[in-house]
This record gives sequence, C-alpha cells and structure tokens, in this order.
Amino acid sequence: MSNPARPPSDAPLTSQPWRHVAPSRMAAWDAAAGRPVAWAELHGRIGAWQRRLDSLAGPGQQWLLHCRSPLEFAVALIALWARGDSAVLPADDRPETLQALAFRCRAALGDLPDGVVADPAPSPPRWEPMDPARRALSLYTSGSTGEPRRIDKTFAQLDAELAAHARLWPLEGRLVISQVSHQHIYGLLFGILRPLCEGAPLAGAACRTPETLGAWLGRLADAPQAPPGAVLISAPPPLERLPETAIPPAAAGRLTRVHSSGAPLSAAASAHARRVLGTPVEEVYGSSETGGIAWRDQRRGETWTPLPGVEVRADDEGGLWLRSPFLGAPGWQPQADRIAPGPTGFRLLGRADRIAKVGGKRLSLTGLEHRLARHPDVLRAHALPLPGRPHRLGAVLQLAPSALPWCRDTRRARVAALRDDLAAAYPASLMPRHWRFVASWPSNAQGKLGAAEVARLFRDLDDPRRPRWLGVETEGPARCRVTLEVPERLSYLVGHFPDQPVVPGVVLVQWAVALAEEHLALVGDFRDLARLRFPQPLLPGERATLELAVDTTAAGPRLAFTLTGQHGCHARGRVQLAQREVGHGG
Amino acid sequence: MASPLEHELKQLIIETLELEDTTPEDIDPDEPLFVEGLGLDSIDALELGLALQKTYGIQLEAESEEARRHFASLRSLAALVEARRNA
Repeated sequence: MSNPARPPSDAPLTSQPWRHVAPSRMAAWDAAAGRPVAWAELHGRIGAWQRRLDSLAGPGQQWLLHCRSPLEFAVALIALWARGDSAVLPADDRPETLQALAFRCRAALGDLPDGVVADPAPSPPRWEPMDPARRALSLYTSGSTGEPRRIDKTFAQLDAELAAHARLWPLEGRLVISQVSHQHIYGLLFGILRPLCEGAPLAGAACRTPETLGAWLGRLADAPQAPPGAVLISAPPPLERLPETAIPPAAAGRLTRVHSSGAPLSAAASAHARRVLGTPVEEVYGSSETGGIAWRDQRRGETWTPLPGVEVRADDEGGLWLRSPFLGAPGWQPQADRIAPGPTGFRLLGRADRIAKVGGKRLSLTGLEHRLARHPDVLRAHALPLPGRPHRLGAVLQLAPSALPWCRDTRRARVAALRDDLAAAYPASLMPRHWRFVASWPSNAQGKLGAAEVARLFRDLDDPRRPRWLGVETEGPARCRVTLEVPERLSYLVGHFPDQPVVPGVVLVQWAVALAEEHLALVGDFRDLARLRFPQPLLPGERATLELAVDTTAAGPRLAFTLTGQHGCHARGRVQLAQREVGHGG
Repeated sequence: MASPLEHELKQLIIETLELEDTTPEDIDPDEPLFVEGLGLDSIDALELGLALQKTYGIQLEAESEEARRHFASLRSLAALVEARRNA
C-alpha cells in the first residue's frame, strides 16, 4: 500500500507549530457560543500557566495534569512542555488514582483537589526547545487485573503516530469535536494533538451528549467565520446510543468524518452511526501501550488495515506480533490479541487465553468464563485471581434480572448450581470461591471492568464492616443507586440478636453516608438525623438497593437515603451535615 | 446440639477460609468437609492445618493419611482437638 502524502499544514510537536502561528488565526471554536478563539488568546493563557509554574519550580519538572476542558488541557500541556517539563495524565480523578500518582509529581494542575490553575491575566509565552527523545508524558492503563500500568511516551513516539494519522485523515481546517477523555491516548492524539499540529480548530469544551452535538453542528452551519465542517472523535458507548434524530436537518452534511476507538464497534452499531451521522465511521484499533495499530471502515467489511509504518504478523497460535514506530521498544513485540491475517489486513479474533496459576495449577480463565456463560441465566462472566489472594478465584457474573439472588438461600442455591456444573470439568481448588452477581456490568469511563471496579466488588473480604458492593448507577452528580448485599461475615451482625442476626439500623445509616461520600463526593460533618424509619430488618445474605440523593440546604449538604430489598423498604431517612471548614493551604 | 468446641471450630473454618455464604448452622457436623459437603479443597486443608496450629497448637501433616481421617468431618476434627488439647 502506498502511503498518502503528509498534508503540508502538518508539523511535528517538537517544531512547536503553535509558536509560529499568526496570533489572529483561529485556534479553537467556542462551539456553544458559535465564535472563534484566536491563537493570541491561547498564547496569553500559555504564558499565564508558565508564570504560575515558574513561581512553583524551575524547569525539568513532572506535573500531574487533569483538566476537563480540552482547551485548558491543551494550553496547560503546551505551557509545561515549552518550559521543559513533562506531564503525568491520571486516567480519572478518583482520590485513589490521584493518591497513587501524586508522589511522582511536583504538583497537581487543573481540575484536581488543590490543583494549581493559571492566573486569569494573560502573559507572554516562552518556548524552550523540545527534544524528540525526551519523555512528553506518562499515561495509565486501566486493566482489570492488578495495578494500573504506567506508559511513557516520548515526543518522537507521539510525532510518529501523529504523522501517520495526518496522512490518512488530514483535517484540512475542520473543527475537531471530541466525545472521549483526553486523559487517554486516543482522545489525546485525535482530540488534542492532531488539531494542534495541523492548525485545525478544536472545540473548546467536551461534547457530552448527542443533543449538544446536534446543537453545535447546527450553530456551525449558521456562523459566518465557522470552520468548514467538523470531525467527531467518538467511541462505542456514545455511538451505540445515538438517537435517530441526533443531527438536526440544518446540520446535515457538516460532519465529514467520525472516528471510534476503545473497543470494536459492532457491524450494526457502525451502520446505525453511519446512517444517523451521515458519514462513515473510521475505527482505530490499538491500546495505550501500542498506540494505533490498524483502522477500518465497516462499509468494506470487518478487516483491519495496519496504519502506515506499522507491521503486523500472526504466530502459530494466531497471536498478534507487532513492529511499530509508535511502540517504545524496537523489533517484533507480542500482543494479547489473536488475529487471522488476510491479503489486505487481518480480522480480530479476540483476546488470547488469559492464563492464571492457581494453587500451582495452570488455568485458562477464558475457558472458565466460557463454561460459566453457558448457563442461560448468565449474561456475562469474568473470572480472576483476587488481588492479595493469588490462590483464590473470584467470579463476577451478570445475571438475567429474574435470576438475581435476593436472599441467602437463593444465593446459596445459585452458587451450588454453578459449582455443580463446574465440578464436571474443574477440581474444587480451581473453582471460584467468591461470587459477585451483578445486574449490570460494572465498568469505568472506557467501558471496561477496571481495577477500581474489581477492588470495590471484593473489598468486603478485607473489611468485615462493609457491605458487599455490587454496582452503582449514577443519575447526575447528586443522585445514585448502589446495589449491595449483606455479607454473612459482617462484624456488626455478631451479638445483636442471638437467634436472628440483623444489620443494626445505625450501620445502615453509616453505609448510606460512606457510599454517598464515595459516589456523590458528599463532604461534611454529621449534624442531625431526621425521619428515620426501619420498616423491615435486613438479614445476612440479603440483597438491597440503596438510593442516595444529596441536596444543599442553608445548614450544609443533606443526604436522603432509601434502602429497598425484595420485600420492600428496610431503611430510609435524612442525614443533615454541616459544611466542613476546609483550610486551603498554599 | 453442637458442643461449644464444635461451634468454635465452625467459626474458625468460616473465618479462615472466608466462606461467603456459610454460617455455623450450615455446617453439618457429620458431613464430609472436603469435596462433597462443604466442598473444601487441598489449599483449604493447608490453611485449616495452619489455623489449627495457631489456635490449638496442633500439628498435622496436611498430606498425611492421619490428616485425611481427622478432616473427614467436623465431628472428627472436634474429637482430634479435644484429645490433643487435653493431652
């Protein structure tokens, strides 16, 4: 395949293309207001960030960076790069994630607790040279086993990949609208760095909903100085959920390309998105470590074509081997996916078998999952050695709603039936010991069951004061619904009633407050309880749903909770908290 | 009626092996602990052996015929602890 020529407007990061651009030129598009943002404004922001960072430390630092706004993220990143620093991009802004990374970094920047932000006053920027071999940034994977893995990228690696993208998909001045997080490699490359290198405007805010997308594209059609069309950086979750009427008639034809990455898009979802958005969907296959590997447009079938410069081959078992300028390591590198090579590319066959060593025996986790998923009530299964318990397996099973166990007896019967079925193929030591039955698949923003979700699902094993966490559904920032189960080993059960242990009411209130702190960022000091009712006792082994809603009163935040089980309400009430006095140091 | 020692051993088994859905009442003192019955495995045997040593000072070779006999049921395990404790 001949490589298309690199567009003349494209320049590598290390040449700092933003440095030479005319100040009056459009850098970004304020899509909500329908007006351009000039480079002069961004240069002033870059300078302001540098002045703030200079006040903290000399160059050569590493900073933890998390900004929700793509534009603010871009100026902060340019500012620190042009100072001679590098960035650590946390995968999300959960306290556990940040705590694990903070020690590596001089300070946290952006939308983070105690995050440094630039002064509003503009300042002239300065441009130190950027060495291609220097580390530009570190990213983190969110794997379901073990700790998130750190991946370093040099400027040379990023530039190699950006050049390949520019050849295949020149932006030609179109507006880049992103629906994905730029804290991950795909959103970073496609949503931020491509437009910066190619001089194309990026949308100043993240586009969260299909309604926003429709409105932005509609406004693009009206505005006099608007960019000539738009490119959408998306992913399977938003594309699969696109309403039929996402694009208003006025905006038809404004979108000229759609990208999707993170997971393969089903053929049906690809066709649906193509019809609704009126433009082909070009998928990118890759990972944080490898960068992009291949791309496809499903109008031409399911075959993936390697990106320019990337070489792919299969070993005897179909395992994918990769040689790529976007990888940190030279030479052929084995990957976890299996492929079937063809004349024009390859088909993806899924992950290679996941193998675990349990009690000295090798076990295919994939095989165990397939066996569990044979049962008609099991919609999805994931088996894994538990963190801190390498010889014990856990299993996360998504069950049909009618098959979810709501009390101890049904749960025991369910586990016994699953074990009976496995007993035909597995010795007792290779059977999961800890079972988690969920109604919907617990996943992170990338749609994956990540390490944080796994830790939540099994944390009752290490803390006998906690309920068993079985998933959360959030409805906006102030409401959520947590499913939980009462472990038989719960320490509070001991000695309450000798014949029939129940969870004491005060414990249910504690759980409500703790889960609201975790999922709704509730902060405050306990003040008062009101309208407390415990209509039915909650027994060991029972499953229940805890609805939490936080609102703000003059006195401080107030939490309303309702705990409902199979036979009705177990607890409800309100907790009034007082605003916590927080001293903001430094 | 379970003896206090039997109840104590049931608690020990549940705690040591982190049995999720099991309460002391679920353990039939005459049922086999391993494979059928509670469905415990060879790793459980090792862990249980360790716990018995820590709690009662009893040493058992986990792979031995003797251990197999004592681990047959909760009742036989209780008899072992009773005998060794008073020895």
